[in-house]
Amino acid sequence: MSAAILDAFRIPDEPYYLALGDELSLFEAAYAVRLPVMLKGPTGCGKTRFVQHMAWRLRRPLLTVACNEEMSASDLLGRYLLEDGATRWQDGPLTIAARLGAICYLDEVVEARQDTLVVIHPLTDDRRLLSLPARSETLRAHPDFHLVVSHNPGYQSALKDLKPSTKQRFGAIEFDFPVRAQEVEILVHETALARELAERLVSVAEAARRLKGHGLDEGISTRMLVHAGALIRQGIAAEAACQMALVRPLTDDPDLVSALNASVRACL
Amino acid sequence: MSEAHGEGPQRELPGGASRFVRALWGFDVRLHALPPAAHEFAARRPRFVASNLWLPASPLTGVPGSFSDYLFAACAHISAHLRFGAPRFSIKSLKPAQVAIISLLEDARVERLATEQYPGLARLWAPYYTARADGQKTSLSLFARLARALHDDAYVDDDSWVSKGRQLFFEGRAEWRDASLCRRIGGALGNDLGQMRVQFNAKDYAVQPAYRDDNIGLWQFEQEQTDDGCELESEGRRRIESDVPTPKPPERGEPLASGPSDASASERASGSRSQVGAELEPATLHPEWDYVIGRERPDFCRVRERPAALGDATRIAATLARYAPARKRLERSALRLADRRPIRLRRLLDGDSLDLPAALAAVVAHESAVSADPRVYRRLRFQLEPPALLLLLDLSESLNASAPGSSATLLELARSASALLATSLSSIAGDLAIHGFSSNGRHDVGYYRFKDFGQPYDELVRARLAGMHAHLSTRLGSALRHAGRALATRNAARKLLLVVTDGEPSDIDIHDPKYLLFDAKQATISNRRLGVTSFCVGLDANAEGSVKPIFGAGNYSLLDRLESLPQKIAQLYLRLSA
Repeated sequence: MSAAILDAFRIPDEPYYLALGDELSLFEAAYAVRLPVMLKGPTGCGKTRFVQHMAWRLRRPLLTVACNEEMSASDLLGRYLLEDGATRWQDGPLTIAARLGAICYLDEVVEARQDTLVVIHPLTDDRRLLSLPARSETLRAHPDFHLVVSHNPGYQSALKDLKPSTKQRFGAIEFDFPVRAQEVEILVHETALARELAERLVSVAEAARRLKGHGLDEGISTRMLVHAGALIRQGIAAEAACQMALVRPLTDDPDLVSALNASVRACL
Repeated sequence: MSEAHGEGPQRELPGGASRFVRALWGFDVRLHALPPAAHEFAARRPRFVASNLWLPASPLTGVPGSFSDYLFAACAHISAHLRFGAPRFSIKSLKPAQVAIISLLEDARVERLATEQYPGLARLWAPYYTARADGQKTSLSLFARLARALHDDAYVDDDSWVSKGRQLFFEGRAEWRDASLCRRIGGALGNDLGQMRVQFNAKDYAVQPAYRDDNIGLWQFEQEQTDDGCELESEGRRRIESDVPTPKPPERGEPLASGPSDASASERASGSRSQVGAELEPATLHPEWDYVIGRERPDFCRVRERPAALGDATRIAATLARYAPARKRLERSALRLADRRPIRLRRLLDGDSLDLPAALAAVVAHESAVSADPRVYRRLRFQLEPPALLLLLDLSESLNASAPGSSATLLELARSASALLATSLSSIAGDLAIHGFSSNGRHDVGYYRFKDFGQPYDELVRARLAGMHAHLSTRLGSALRHAGRALATRNAARKLLLVVTDGEPSDIDIHDPKYLLFDAKQATISNRRLGVTSFCVGLDANAEGSVKPIFGAGNYSLLDRLESLPQKIAQLYLRLSA
């Protein structure tokens, strides 16, 4: 297996990321000692963008796996395929990253079933071993291999949480929505909106975030603001863009919709 | 957050309005329906006292736009007072006209500050400014014009009084954060009005535009009488205080939404009816088993459904605080119970479909000439629906005894158990009912529904639980039959009747202790025919002799530590449901 297949996973251009605190240096330090990193924070606050940025900054290829309930260990490790009556082994994303030295990013890791996740255990302590039982192989991870997972502790029910034995293997960086000035900055950069309009969109988001726990499970995220801004750049009126990108995706509750719509009108 | 609902559906306030306030400023307000005007021509205006808002429940005459826009405008205005307002103004020696002008300036001040943060609010309020710079110069029209001049920068008005007010207000822009500005300007403008000989009649005055509140919330009224001949002032104060109906802010402990109190009124009414003539009450006749003759006596017992008395709902929250850790655990278990996603079982020896990765692995193993794992099937396991639960509480006199080794009475424990159950099982609340009974002879078995199926666990239910009291006797069989029938109508695969009682059944007209025991046993059997499973929690560790014959071995649990009843009940449900 050649390292050339990693080229597809390299990030040539700098993904925009505005540092909100010391997360860049924290991540770099964790990478230096190969401490697996858990990114915690609400959906749409920039976790995935941060990983892309760090992969670019560290010049490592990035393999992303969106975790889900149906995911099995072989989706991470790899499996035998049948080809013309013969079998061929196909590495999974985690195996590729461990074998060839890339960053493997497991997005929304709690969505995966807990028995699937135990395959990462030997890989995330000082052994750095990946065991492939189907191939009777035990793989020593490449020195450049690094594991990153993301986790939104907010909306998952009590039913979904990581095992303590899994959690303890990680260092965690906590994310939240940017403070106002930074969020405006991000919005202006991502959507090229006029600063004043960006300020107003951020006001809408702040209003919606006050309703978290008062009917809303999650507030309006930075990602949703970027969507609204993109629609406005397409020539959609600001109020309509807010309804489409911010209000309707968030809730179906008529009371909340009316409260959010009134907030949108108040902010614009 | 509680929202008020009026007496009928037409008086309902939209739930969005209070959320709107929270979205804007991050604090909560309570909405109440404004009572109808004292007389037909009195202008109605919203009102606020601290964070309680009274809003009209039907559109005001002559107000443009949709009613819900109006309510949002009113809420935005009042919440600006709450956000930017200072402590209430003291009314001291002010004339009614000055009071009105200062209020008007204060309205403009808080709105200006609010629009600095939320520019769109100005557009929300704009449609209601209909004053025009012409016509007669009455105090009413001048006030409306000044309000518009302070709101609308494009508005042109060359009246000298309006212009002066506008000029003073905007010259003081740097002091907008300070409410005393309004007092200073308002005093001056009020004097000018007097010199212009423009009459101000507090009786006819209604704040303009119509979305604004009546200013009652801005002023501190003093109780002492003024000594000198300031007739106008006391007259004006009386006007302001009495002209508009004064809704009383709810006291602590009283149910906040008017729904429960309405219900309480109707329940009180029906309660008094029960005293007038018990014959008018709805009663259900149930048979009773006579073990001596070995037959049922048809239509022998009369179960009367009575409204549950209401108590102080806030007590329930205090009670629950004591069970916080247990509650957290139970909520988690209840969630798991409510999670009905099927579980996929893989790698089975037989199943509904092929487990492809396993099958592939088997083929690979076969090709590689090693022994293949034959477990290549998979199957979906569907989780059982949580059972419908009726918690039936014995509310006889003996529940007033204190639990051994505890200061709480059995009744209090039963109440805590109900509250803990209802809170922690909120994820499956629709299938939970809490009923109770106490009897006074076979013609009077009282039956109370604290929470019924399909009813949310709300303020009213908490008030009923708080008002729960224990008296009279325990005719268990009739109550079991009545509860069994209620439960049998539920559309659930499993139906669980959980009975909490402190000992053997008894009643004033029965002297043979075995009679009611056998009747209760018979009731349990007939309930089972209706698809209802009964389970008993005995509040007496020595009650085995009476409980076991009724419910059968394995269908009861006797508590030796009664303080654990609340946790025990909820745990039992979860265990029986799994």
